[in-house]
Amino acid sequence: MKSQKRRTLMQAIAAGAGATFFGPWKVHHAWAQSAQKKPLVIGLTMDASGQYGASGGEERLGAMMAIKEFNEKGGVLGRTIEALHMDTETTPATGSRVAERLITRNEAAFLIGALHSGVANAISQVAQKYGCIFLNTNSSSPTEAGVNCHRTKFVWDGNGTNFAHAIVKNAIKVNGKNWVLLTNDYVWGHNTSKATRTLAEANGAKIVEELMVPQNTRDFSPFLIKLQQLKPQVVAAAVGGDDLKAMRRQVVQLKLDRSFAWINNQQDWPDVYGLGPEEIFGVFGTNWYYRLDLPGVKEFVEKYQKAYPGVQIKVPGNVYYNGYMATRELLRAVERAGSTNNIKVIKELENCKVSARDRMQHFDAYMNPATHQIQQTIYMATYNDKPAEKDDIFKILASLPPQDVEDRDAPGACKLETYEATPTYEV
Amino acid sequence: MDFVVNLLPHVVNGLSLGLLFALIALGFMLIVGVMEVINLAHGSLFALGAYVALIFLGAQPTLAAYALALVAAPLLVGAFGMLLELCMRRTYGRDPLYGLLLTFGAALVIEELIRVIWGSRERSLPLPQAIQGATLIGDLIYAKYRFFACAVAAVLIALLWLFIEKTKVGAIIKAGAHDSEMVRALGYNLARLRLGVFALGTALAAVAGIVMAPIWGIRPHVGVDAVVPAFLIIVLGGVGSFWGAVAAGLLVGLVVGLTGAYASEWSLLSMYLLFIVVVTFRARGLFGRKSALDT
Repeated sequence: MKSQKRRTLMQAIAAGAGATFFGPWKVHHAWAQSAQKKPLVIGLTMDASGQYGASGGEERLGAMMAIKEFNEKGGVLGRTIEALHMDTETTPATGSRVAERLITRNEAAFLIGALHSGVANAISQVAQKYGCIFLNTNSSSPTEAGVNCHRTKFVWDGNGTNFAHAIVKNAIKVNGKNWVLLTNDYVWGHNTSKATRTLAEANGAKIVEELMVPQNTRDFSPFLIKLQQLKPQVVAAAVGGDDLKAMRRQVVQLKLDRSFAWINNQQDWPDVYGLGPEEIFGVFGTNWYYRLDLPGVKEFVEKYQKAYPGVQIKVPGNVYYNGYMATRELLRAVERAGSTNNIKVIKELENCKVSARDRMQHFDAYMNPATHQIQQTIYMATYNDKPAEKDDIFKILASLPPQDVEDRDAPGACKLETYEATPTYEV
Repeated sequence: MDFVVNLLPHVVNGLSLGLLFALIALGFMLIVGVMEVINLAHGSLFALGAYVALIFLGAQPTLAAYALALVAAPLLVGAFGMLLELCMRRTYGRDPLYGLLLTFGAALVIEELIRVIWGSRERSLPLPQAIQGATLIGDLIYAKYRFFACAVAAVLIALLWLFIEKTKVGAIIKAGAHDSEMVRALGYNLARLRLGVFALGTALAAVAGIVMAPIWGIRPHVGVDAVVPAFLIIVLGGVGSFWGAVAAGLLVGLVVGLTGAYASEWSLLSMYLLFIVVVTFRARGLFGRKSALDT
């Protein structure tokens, strides 16, 4: 009996090992038999853990939706699209490693996804080395389309300067000229606060102090006591992800949301979704909202709800939207180029223009070929004190056309590699 | 004079922060000190405590419901800790790496378990009205909840000290840590003792999770934010030293609080710098006993 059991166990192990060993061969064999075209692999370089883990999950759903739509109509260039996700852990070193692996081992044709600007920068350096097109979907440091731009990188979110343009002047007029900057101590925070400082000072405000908030700060009490001692009229925060959630909670506990005017450069949807009304204070920027009264928005929301009924975020936000839009425009560019050749696709993306209707925003959007950042509508928003439904937490205060919020320093700072210096890449 | 007036709130805040750090390290210290097991699952049990407490709390809990959560959730997590200790028994007396690997694996399992049951989204732990809001002291506003959290931390530290120093069970636990063979020879059930200590350590981790949740928020990976300072504090204080851990917690809180106010970009790094300085000059930590390495 005992030996029979052991034999059974050995057989099971052998079967398992065999299945593991022969698995890939079987798959390759199937491709040869069916004469189908090789699937187009897209690497999703998105955070599933760390400071931006929650947002990373949302942008992944957005990219997956665009891929699903293309696959339902036969893929792109007759090839089905396969998405391969690896967690970039909100860590630049992991971003580099994941990008290298996706390009060299998994033969990813394109890379999509980034929240943290340090991670985005790390991925884009690897992508540029191989000539692989990389879409920075959601990281918003002005350096991404400035000093850290690359020929193979395209930026799809508004950046810190765009959002500062949307908010700063108005905040000085309404709230006063004594400002304190609260800055997440990494590339996005630094450059966003720099843009805010430049604009604020140019419009007559005085920056009393800039407090650097290290990443992964959980206790904001030293900063909040310092703010009380400084007594500014406006606190301009460039704090993101889990840090922002902790900060919002502690500001409300101290009731400091009523003591100063708060402006938050950009408010990502996963960072506020589900928070109570008292925790969504201040004025902030965004590039999309699920209740914009525009054609297509309602259907877009319904599609999300139908495709992802089990998710905790019941309506899509800006992070999902950027993941979707970036992926869709990339696949459209591949179709227009009629090839996956990177240089051809890059040229298509550089000339990308999307109507306001197609983007479900108030103004037409266009890619700036000198910086590779999409120029789009930016919204100024605040908490909605008259919500039409539970999730209707934003009130859009203003919509600004891309020309009004343009980052005018970016073209000077961005030095794109020439086409010749970019390796040709085709999968 | 102005400088002193400005400094004082930061010193007070630093000390309160220190009490909370000490609370986070308490369960970790107990298990390392008594069982010589580095419980890398401490952070995940911290998170689990906060999530389990959610079960007992509605949207606007009463003080009684909150008190129930503060007792029942640690008991449940303590029971879970017992299961973990049963798994750990095979690692006793072997290379400490086995225990490390097992608790590391347990941490990953608990974190995924949390994701499966409660999802990955950020959650808030609701508080009763009585401990919400803010209070004005001088010119500055303080959160009432922070006072409550510090009081819980101080009471737990005192209770744990009384338990270890003034009760018979505490004496056996200490004796077990010092010479387990002798304790066994005297007829005490060492296995049961270890089970109890591990359960108490994990229950303390859960209490810390519940107390910190309204400040830090709750995420499946929030335990990472707890386990690193906990580890640092017990080494800084001297492994096995109760008051060493408390003093180290207070010191870390003070340093983090003051750098947060005056050199904010150094506020997180400051605890590691403090650690390097202390360990450079005193390898066994502030209150650690002399070891063979010191001779």
